[in-house]
Amino acid sequence: MSASPSANVEPLAGIVGAENVSTALEARIACSRDASGLEGECLAVVWPSHPEHVPAVVEWALQEGVDLVPRGAGTGLCGGATPQRSVVVDLSRLTRIGPLDREGRRIEVEAGVVLGALNRRLAPQGLFLPVIPGSHRAATVGGMIATDAAGLRAVRYGTLRDWVEEVTLVDGLGRVHRLRGDALSSAVGREGVTGFVVKAVLKLASLPTRRTVSLIAFDDEEALLIQRDRWLQDPQLTALEYLNRHAAGALGWEARPHLLVEFDSDRGDIHDPERIAALWRARDGLYPVLARRGHPVIEDPRLEGEALQELLRWLDAEGIPAFGHLGVGIVHPCFRDGDGRIPALYERVAAWGGRVSGEHGIGLKKKGWVDAAFRAEIQQLKEKYDPKGVLNRGKLC
Amino acid sequence: MLTEPTADGSVELAENPPCIECGLCREVCPLFAVLRQEHLSPRGLALLAEREVASVVFYQCTLCRACKEVCPVGHDPDGERVRARLVARGVETEANRAMIENIRKYGNPFGPLKEGEIPKTLTCC
Repeated sequence: MSASPSANVEPLAGIVGAENVSTALEARIACSRDASGLEGECLAVVWPSHPEHVPAVVEWALQEGVDLVPRGAGTGLCGGATPQRSVVVDLSRLTRIGPLDREGRRIEVEAGVVLGALNRRLAPQGLFLPVIPGSHRAATVGGMIATDAAGLRAVRYGTLRDWVEEVTLVDGLGRVHRLRGDALSSAVGREGVTGFVVKAVLKLASLPTRRTVSLIAFDDEEALLIQRDRWLQDPQLTALEYLNRHAAGALGWEARPHLLVEFDSDRGDIHDPERIAALWRARDGLYPVLARRGHPVIEDPRLEGEALQELLRWLDAEGIPAFGHLGVGIVHPCFRDGDGRIPALYERVAAWGGRVSGEHGIGLKKKGWVDAAFRAEIQQLKEKYDPKGVLNRGKLC
Repeated sequence: MLTEPTADGSVELAENPPCIECGLCREVCPLFAVLRQEHLSPRGLALLAEREVASVVFYQCTLCRACKEVCPVGHDPDGERVRARLVARGVETEANRAMIENIRKYGNPFGPLKEGEIPKTLTCC
């Protein structure tokens, strides 16, 4: 990384305050990559402390001729927050939580609010935002909206798209949009290429009062998928998590395919809260265990039906550890760095009619695998919201 | 790396797993809680250490190791060792320099006692 970035950031100090903009090497290195490990050059970092700062930052970028990269917690796994000779706009300081509308079950929050902190605040009221990705202790609401986060309980609660009522978006011309209804699709899941999500009104759910789980080992994936389809009929099902035998073995469990299922009823076999918590801790810790054992590259294809069964068989036969949110068809195979079977995975998923990304997004990592219709849709959105190409250049397509 | 074994040949017996950059440490870090800047988060400091960036930002870490407690792989920021290497390279804050000098000269990080002053003591009950 060069020691002397070329962007003239002095005017930014007048917008956000001198202490909230930096070209120091330390700040630029730290924001040069996200959890994907994909790295690029960061020219400077800006930390807006009010949503109102963001339009002026965009206007500065237009005048300066540099592009901007929105950043939340940097927990993304596809390089969505990786700069490419860009200025990173870190929204971590937008942490205000508005008053709770208890009756309407909604709350307005700024983009940098962390999901874990929000749910801790809401718990005494018996409410929560039920979309819980694995990174929930660090992930920001803005980043979750940008990637349309899913997670462990997607089988019951869907994705973040289902829980957003309004998004305040600052577009690539510095214009402020308050998006609702169908217009939300211009921001949710668009990975920052149409604008900065600076605020959102979120819908909330009631915290379940009862929780039981079952942990079942199967002889093979075929038997497991038959049982999965039975459980999917249960309206009290809240999670249906899969581990193949290679992943189960890494946790010290019997090396057979497993399902960990959760109900907000008495249907599960395990009722002891401590045992349930221990099982979820083990599940939460699965990816770090696999990463430490040499499989840090995590993918997230999404398939259904025969194709899902084919994928699970292939992963098993190849000895690739995999787990995932099988209730919604998302599987997380984990690979060694540079494993030549990763492109083979994408090719198979595309041939089977699945999606190469079920929840992590496209970012830089998967943009070579998007189809022409998606590319055309994004280009249309870019023309409307970012005609000068200032926002998250080169992402998605 | 700033966290590699020392030049005197001593070897860490316990393995320190490398940071996997998940970012889960951010929200338990007391420094990040106040400043909310990635380069002052445990993950950011781990990346700077890995890149051998000799910077005074490492002196801002409180050495509390709350990050290690929540780290899914148990990465230790090893702040004391990182600082020892920085001092050896002459990268030091004025406060750190004065503290070490005071300890060496007076056995007191705050310097010599004034005439008639008695050492402050910490009590808990």
